[in-house]
Amino acid sequence: MANSTQTDTGKTRQTGMVRTPFHKTRWFARLPIYLILIFGAVIAFVPFFWMTSTSLMTLGETINRKWLPEIPQWENYINAWNEAKFAKYFVNSVIITITTVVGLLITSVLAGYAFGRMKFWGRDVIFALLLSTMMIPETVTLLPNMLMIRGAIIPLPGGSWLNSLQALTVPFMANAFSIFLLRQFFAQIPNELWDAARMDGAGHFRFLVQIVLPISKAPIMTVLLFGFIGAWNAFAWPLLVTTRETWRPLMVGLWNFVTEAGPETHLLMAGAMISLLPILVIYFLTQKQFTEGIATTGLKG
Amino acid sequence: MNTQDQSPGKPRRSLISQWNHLKEQLTAYLFLLPSILIIGIFGLFPIGYAIYMSLFNWRVTKGGFLGFDNYDKIVGDWGGLLLFLLGVALLVAAYWLWTSAFRSSSRGVVVAKVIAAILLVAVGFLLAGGWGRLMAGGDKKFWTSMMITLFYAIGTVPTQIILAMVLAYLLFQNIRGKDVFRMIYFLPYITPVVSTAVVFRSIFSPRETALANTVLSWFGAGPLKWLFEPRPFSQILFGWNIEGFWAGPSLALVTIILFGVWTFVGYNTVIFLAGLGSISKEIYEAAEIDGANAWGVFRNVTVPLLSPVTFYLFLVSFIGTFKAFNHIFVMEVPSAQGTVATASVEIFSIFYRANNYGYAAAQAIVLFLVILGLTFAQNKLLGKKVFYG
Repeated sequence: MANSTQTDTGKTRQTGMVRTPFHKTRWFARLPIYLILIFGAVIAFVPFFWMTSTSLMTLGETINRKWLPEIPQWENYINAWNEAKFAKYFVNSVIITITTVVGLLITSVLAGYAFGRMKFWGRDVIFALLLSTMMIPETVTLLPNMLMIRGAIIPLPGGSWLNSLQALTVPFMANAFSIFLLRQFFAQIPNELWDAARMDGAGHFRFLVQIVLPISKAPIMTVLLFGFIGAWNAFAWPLLVTTRETWRPLMVGLWNFVTEAGPETHLLMAGAMISLLPILVIYFLTQKQFTEGIATTGLKG
Repeated sequence: MNTQDQSPGKPRRSLISQWNHLKEQLTAYLFLLPSILIIGIFGLFPIGYAIYMSLFNWRVTKGGFLGFDNYDKIVGDWGGLLLFLLGVALLVAAYWLWTSAFRSSSRGVVVAKVIAAILLVAVGFLLAGGWGRLMAGGDKKFWTSMMITLFYAIGTVPTQIILAMVLAYLLFQNIRGKDVFRMIYFLPYITPVVSTAVVFRSIFSPRETALANTVLSWFGAGPLKWLFEPRPFSQILFGWNIEGFWAGPSLALVTIILFGVWTFVGYNTVIFLAGLGSISKEIYEAAEIDGANAWGVFRNVTVPLLSPVTFYLFLVSFIGTFKAFNHIFVMEVPSAQGTVATASVEIFSIFYRANNYGYAAAQAIVLFLVILGLTFAQNKLLGKKVFYG
């Protein structure tokens, strides 16, 4: 079931052996193609290589023209970890990311279901309004939202949310992109399933939890991955609302390290490496999901 | 069912269905409630509130009512703005004339093209004149930041799209390691901007032994100051001494453009790959039978058939650059002397560093209006396709 619906959404699946102009040519005729592709890959990859390599150098080696460290200085990672207080920030980032993603999944599954499978008054208008929020630049919303978080616009439970977990998570717990993505998928689910479930006396909520969710793993995974990346990489907003260390995330911690550490390039690189490791791990585990998710959603737009 | 059953059952059934209808409505609203609350409070409400703030002398706390004074400070010369907008309107008219000319009769084409050409000259005068008056009478820093935003957009968007199209086309051939290449190209897009900025700041540091300067030295070129260089690249590269708009971006901004291109090429490549997948293979086979070579197929089959995707990517990325903040903010160094501050960075520094909230809100609203205009133009150009991000 899951597979059949997945191929419905993924136009990109037809990657088989397409007969393109080069299919008959010999390998050496295709050499230029490989050379260009490899050149591109090298450009894309060099910064990561440079980051890894520099993160293992001594301070002296970073100043001189070196490609690789003589002896890998693994303690750079420990030093960066301690000097930039990464232990605290790392845990903060993990908690912030998980909270955001869980919240995002709950709100967007519910809203996506309502838009995709229910009839209610004003549905299309509300949906259009929701989509229009996508073109609003963050620059416009940052300032009023900061005042909102300080409790200066409407009274918030607990006074000011500055330096709180809520401030870093709640504003990101819903977005139009995720709702749109899930709506597209839910709307394609055959009506027969819903009719059968209703015969058995199931309501919308039970149908959603017991039938729809198990067959919607692919789009939910896409929402989860993009939510994870967005929450982990978030920068401008956390920079504004974390004046103290309590809930400061890793990205802001790394940025402070950049502005304070100055010439300690090797430690900076080690810090940068630590900050993107979770993203790399998630990406390597799920990269197919990623690129296909982005291809289908990007084109649908 | 026959009529006998229906008459007694009808009123009761409709009552039930009415109740069900109401219940469904309520359930739907309940499902929507959390999303609508969050997006409403943190996504839509701020726009209204930013407009409200822009009408006040608001520094950290609300001060006196100013009316449109903040906007007056930005624009300065409303006649100049009017001239500029008139230029934009004429540009649209010229575009419309030019495209519709191809559909009409041959005599109409010539006339329309002549008119369009005359219009274009007028557009040039209006845009340049209006812009000059805005820079002279209004907030020079803000309009400069708009110009820098335009440089950033012109520098990143076409480059990343052309590179992505070539890479996607080559990747789509029958080659080995397709998935590995795709994975590597996409990597920059998902990694945190702050982390990659750390590396780019090191690679493009002004030190002679930095990676970028090392590469330059292989070609016998001297070291450059890259991110720390406020002079326009046209002066450094060709020794031209031009000032103002035509001097182009500073070398610092060009470096940030490279950073932006590096980040987004992979994203565009993946979208192009999806577009290539939807071109039917019969067309390729037909071209092959007709004896087209690889370049001919690319030029005459792939590029035209991909044009909707290209167009979509172009416009979405162009608007995206007007929203871009992180990429520039993390690469800005004081030595660049503000030559890299795009509109969003400039607005951020006005409220974050200068604490002038009311004025920052007014600037943000102006930026928002520009983006709205671009989105509107995009929707018109894309026809029925709707803009989703």
